[in-house]
Order: sequence, then C-alpha cells, then structure tokens
Amino acid sequence: MSDLDHHLAAIAAGDADAFAHWLAGAEPQVRASLARFAGVVDTESVVQESLLTAWQVAPRITPDGHPNGLLRFCLRAARNRAISELRKQGRQAPSPDADAPVEMAPPDPLLRRAIAFCIEHLRGKPAAVLRARLADPAGGADVDLAGSLGMSRNTFAQNLNRARKQLTTCLTRRGVHLEASP
Amino acid sequence: MNPRDRETLIEETTSAWRPQRPDGALGPHPSFADLDEDGRREAFARTRALRALEAALDAQGLSTTSRAVLRRIRGARSE
Repeated sequence: MSDLDHHLAAIAAGDADAFAHWLAGAEPQVRASLARFAGVVDTESVVQESLLTAWQVAPRITPDGHPNGLLRFCLRAARNRAISELRKQGRQAPSPDADAPVEMAPPDPLLRRAIAFCIEHLRGKPAAVLRARLADPAGGADVDLAGSLGMSRNTFAQNLNRARKQLTTCLTRRGVHLEASP
Repeated sequence: MNPRDRETLIEETTSAWRPQRPDGALGPHPSFADLDEDGRREAFARTRALRALEAALDAQGLSTTSRAVLRRIRGARSE
C-alpha cells in the first residue's frame, strides 16, 4: 500500500483536490475497518463523519516517521465514533479480531472498462435507476431520486436490486468479483 | 416484514445520502433502524461492493461517499 501522507502537506494547506486523492485511497480502508460494527451502527454516516474529521484535523497531524499518519488517525476516529454510537445503545464494542481484511485496489483501467461495459448493457428501469444513483450531483435520498424518475420508493429499490444483480452477473462473467461478504 | 419491504430497506441503506442532524453531523439512514442485524450486515456488504464499483467508474476514483464528503467541504467554503 502506498503512503497516502504524500498528500498531507497540500491537504493541511486546504487543498480539497489533494484531499480528493487521499479520499480515493482512504475511504475503502475506513469502511472495511468498521465491518464488525455493521450489524448495529450505520457505518455510512460514521465513514463520512470520520473522513470529514480527517480533513479538519489534517493541519495538526505531525508525521511520526510511519506511513499513513492521517489514515491511521481517521481509522481511530471512525472506531471511536462507532463505539460511541454503540454506547448510546448500551452495547459493548465487538472484538477487534472480527475486522474484515483491509483492501486497497489501485485504479484499474481494465476493471473500469468491464464495469462501464456492463452498465452500458443494462436496459430499462434498472439502468435508469443505477445511472440516477451514480450521476446524482446533489447526493440526494433515494426517495427523491425515485420521484424524479416517476417511481415509488419500492419500485426504485427493486430496480436498483435488479441492476446490482445484473451487473454482478455480467462482471462475474468477465472475472470481476465486487460482492463483499457480509 | 415481508421480503420485498426488507429489500427496499437494504437498498435504500446502500445510498451515500444521510440526514443531517441539527448539530450538522450526519445521522443514520431512516431505513437502517427498521432492519434487523442480518439486514444491516447485508446492506454493509452491498455498500462495499457498490462503492468499489462507483470508484472504479469515476475518473478520480471517488465513490458517492467521497463525493458527499467533498460536497460538504466545498459547501462550507462557499457559505
């Protein structure tokens, strides 16, 4: 894994584009680190809040001679936030050895082409729904995206499910496995 | 809960959208609360797969989660 701290000086100086590069490498790691909380805590909001905290704290991160200082900070922030959410529910933190393995996939043009091919070959409502999700510049809730497509909440979700299954089948035929185990 | 409603809740939870609390922090997706633990884990697994797909398609390698974080950063600056 490369050292994402090579973006740190620019991030600390307020460069949001440098932070975007850091995010591309860091987000999958932060999410994977929360696998053991997934049955109890909504990890998506924890991931987003922790990544935002990393941006805010970056100017105060001092290199310690080890790689990925900002990512290590963010992983701790995510774990602490998830534990805090657990405690609000009166629950104990699960054992850390239940963590999912951390993954780091470098950008892969072949993978991108395979996904683009499979999305291109989706048809009808599943295609419309998936494209709406991927292209939504405002990051709206599904209920709003469904409304913009003239669909009910349930219909939108069913078509998203169909799109995901069709994509998975198409990608599997091309030797790409995106499904992670729960 | 019937399987169709459960599927709807799981798919909705895979979205990067989250409601903002009065203090500005993000709260859990409303559908998350209605899922049992197995459903939540299923949503987590699907989300991981979807984010990998989104990032692979994006020119900058960013998922909808990362884009949502950047929107908040850039939105705060423009206020």
